[in-house]
Amino acid sequence: MACILEAQSICKYFGGLKAVEKVDMQIEEGKIFGIIGPNGAGKTTFFNICSGMYRPTAGRILFEGKDITGMPPEAIARLGIARTFQNIQLFRYMTVLENVKIGFHIRTRSGFLNALVRDRRYREEERFIENEARAVIEKVGLSPYVDTLASNLPYGLQRKVEIARALALKPKMLLLDEPVAGMNPLETRELSEFIIRLNAEGYTIVVIEHDMKFVMNTCHHILVLNFGQKICEGNPAEVRRNKAVNEAYFGKGLVVGGVS
Amino acid sequence: MDYYLSQAINGICQGSIYALMAIGYSVVVGVVGLVTFTHGEVIMLGAFASFYTFQLVGNNLIIGVIASFLASAFIGVFVFKICYERFFNAPRHISLICTIGTSMLLRNLAQIIFGPNNKPLLEVVPNRFFGQGVVGLTLVQIIVIATVISLSFLLFLFFNRTRWGIMLRAVSQDKTAAAMMGINVRLTSLLGNSIGCGLGGVAGMLLAIYYQTLVATMGGSAGMKAFSSAVLGGLTNIPSAAAGGLCLGIVENLGITISSASFRDIFAFIFLLLVLIVKPEGFAKKTGVRP
Amino acid sequence: MTIPPSISALFQKKGMRISLGILGIALLALIPQLNLKSYYMGVLCRILLYTILAGSLNVINGYSGQFNIGHAGFFGIGAYTSAILSLQLKMPFWIALPISGLLAMIVGLIVALPTLRLKGIYLAIVTLGASEIIRLIALNWMSLTGGPNGLRGIPAPVLFGLKFSRSQQYYYIFLVLSLVFYFMTRRIIQSRIGRAWISIREDETAARSLGVETMRFKAANFMYGAFWAGIAGGAFSPYFKFISSDMFSLDEGFNILSMVIIGGQGTLAGPIVGAIIVNFLTEFLRPISQYRLVVYAILIIAMMWLRPQGLVGVSKSVLAERRFGRSRRVHRR
Repeated sequence: MACILEAQSICKYFGGLKAVEKVDMQIEEGKIFGIIGPNGAGKTTFFNICSGMYRPTAGRILFEGKDITGMPPEAIARLGIARTFQNIQLFRYMTVLENVKIGFHIRTRSGFLNALVRDRRYREEERFIENEARAVIEKVGLSPYVDTLASNLPYGLQRKVEIARALALKPKMLLLDEPVAGMNPLETRELSEFIIRLNAEGYTIVVIEHDMKFVMNTCHHILVLNFGQKICEGNPAEVRRNKAVNEAYFGKGLVVGGVS
Repeated sequence: MDYYLSQAINGICQGSIYALMAIGYSVVVGVVGLVTFTHGEVIMLGAFASFYTFQLVGNNLIIGVIASFLASAFIGVFVFKICYERFFNAPRHISLICTIGTSMLLRNLAQIIFGPNNKPLLEVVPNRFFGQGVVGLTLVQIIVIATVISLSFLLFLFFNRTRWGIMLRAVSQDKTAAAMMGINVRLTSLLGNSIGCGLGGVAGMLLAIYYQTLVATMGGSAGMKAFSSAVLGGLTNIPSAAAGGLCLGIVENLGITISSASFRDIFAFIFLLLVLIVKPEGFAKKTGVRP
Repeated sequence: MTIPPSISALFQKKGMRISLGILGIALLALIPQLNLKSYYMGVLCRILLYTILAGSLNVINGYSGQFNIGHAGFFGIGAYTSAILSLQLKMPFWIALPISGLLAMIVGLIVALPTLRLKGIYLAIVTLGASEIIRLIALNWMSLTGGPNGLRGIPAPVLFGLKFSRSQQYYYIFLVLSLVFYFMTRRIIQSRIGRAWISIREDETAARSLGVETMRFKAANFMYGAFWAGIAGGAFSPYFKFISSDMFSLDEGFNILSMVIIGGQGTLAGPIVGAIIVNFLTEFLRPISQYRLVVYAILIIAMMWLRPQGLVGVSKSVLAERRFGRSRRVHRR
């Protein structure tokens, strides 16, 4: 399988704090890749580097063999990496539909003149956006809420709006930052199934998550970070057995069972 | 050559006034956490406070400093009540617009109360000159620099040696954490804001003495210069803001040697643009805080 | 300012909307035929002028969430450009007008460029400074701008032998410009560009993560606003026939800003309402005109305290958030 995203000894320091220290990672195309680790392990920082929010102190990020280190987020989004945020960043005063419509920005190109004249391209694009946006909303199961203000939705559904908005970009890779935080077990299972379904459609997906059960059931491959460093990598079974991982989560000498 | 040298000395002297304005500005922005447009008006009111004090009690500089400090600090309380207190958790543009409104209010009230014309403020300090040829300092310049240095030193002592100073620093770094440590954030911000405004007021008095004139509309360019200087320190770092003020003063005075004095404010603006292009986050050392 | 549902339902139908629009325009076009006193025509002309100025400022402040408080500077550039072109080069008004807009747009780009990556406050202070610098240049460049004397005798525009010299006639120029402005702006706001602007206003980080080139769109937004301020200025100087640098002071910028804020940012109707209210207030306060800006200042502060979205502003926007804003964290966990 081809490697779609590659991180080469990425470091990110905030002053004296080593948030991410020499992390290597290779994400294969078409897989669900999980990144786990205790709080403050540097997961979100790592995500922010991949999506261009931060510039790494050292190291390189390659996307489909192209060096994207230090590119601005909007350029990276254009290349085909879409993301969601840990602390939900929806356009809170827009409806679900409007939120998703903005996701089509990079897939349309009408400019000032098109908008002024409302020529054929403009009309076709507007129709395309309207239909596609509704289709994406349908796909994540938010159809009843098309015209609801994003901020009026319950927490779990807001996360879904973010996913829908990211899907609107038709990305090659989807970065989900704690997608099930704040969801109940039922919603979590549904989202897990949904992610697996998306993956089957060909999306490469990277997930940061705390919920072990979710990660173990969903991901093909898992990377474990602790204090900014990679302590383990492998499939769920390998990670479950790994001693360093258990120590990172529960401390030394206290491990009774495995992580489950 | 002598001309440039004397202009550079003038620049340092004016720069130290700008430094004081910028220090006040940085204290306000640091403690309150919201950017303000009223600082120019606060400076202007400080200048007028000293003007009327000098008329009442004669040309006593110490009383002038105290009066302008207190007057501006009091205006600071007023600004705090109107612009900041309700809006700590609101989006920033709301308090920003409030400060614009307050600045309009203060300036236009001042124009009505004090009159729209320039007022002369002559011979507060005797016209004496120390040095040889063109290179030297006038008494005014010495007094200005001495006042700025001693006030900066007092501020330094206050921030590092007193309980309130340490509380102010805590509040300016993290309001939530400070509140959890039992600090009254509201009161501390109010105090910090008043101190910053008071320093601005003294700077206003120095400006008036230096130029020997004052006018109700002087706040616009003064506020602009305070901001331009403070940008050098990322708007909150006090030493860098002071350095910014000095640089600005020198740039301005060397700038008018190649053009005319009426273009003085243009150099302040070019200075600001240059800083924003070259190093927008300011020259202050970044500590381990995430952006 | 709530509209009864039956009336707002009328506006939903497209045919109805168009015919109502045509009716409104026809009524507006008939006003000069009423033979109002030229004083009233002058007030109407000023209102129309300010609907363009406030509207263009609203495109910047209200739709993309940038912060321009020196709009008078761009207004001034437009006014001086058309005045100088028509006085010194004898250029006809109809050519000088677009050039005024373009020049203001270019200056707008220069002003906005250094601050596009930074927080909004930097742009605010730079626009403030730029406005003051533009005024200073106009005051000191004697040979070009007449310095403190200003420029006099700016010729009235002529179209097919028809001279627009009185406010009854000039009214039509302002009316057409204002209509064109609102027509164009409405279309742009509803398009992909407008959506990108609004997304930047609501959450810049999120917008960038969706591939919106925020710097480009902010620059375009600022240039669009500056362009129309320049057009308004270009139309203003032949109307007033005299300009001087103190007409474009910071207070003038605040005057325009107060219209946007009082009317409501982020809506097309807001600046129109603001322009009408503030201009009527100006006339009303004429006997005590030195208190005019004091009153506006108090109104601005009152608006922020009571109704930050303005009189007709959208209540569903970041612009309307008040002390309970940024409550996102409450939802967490």
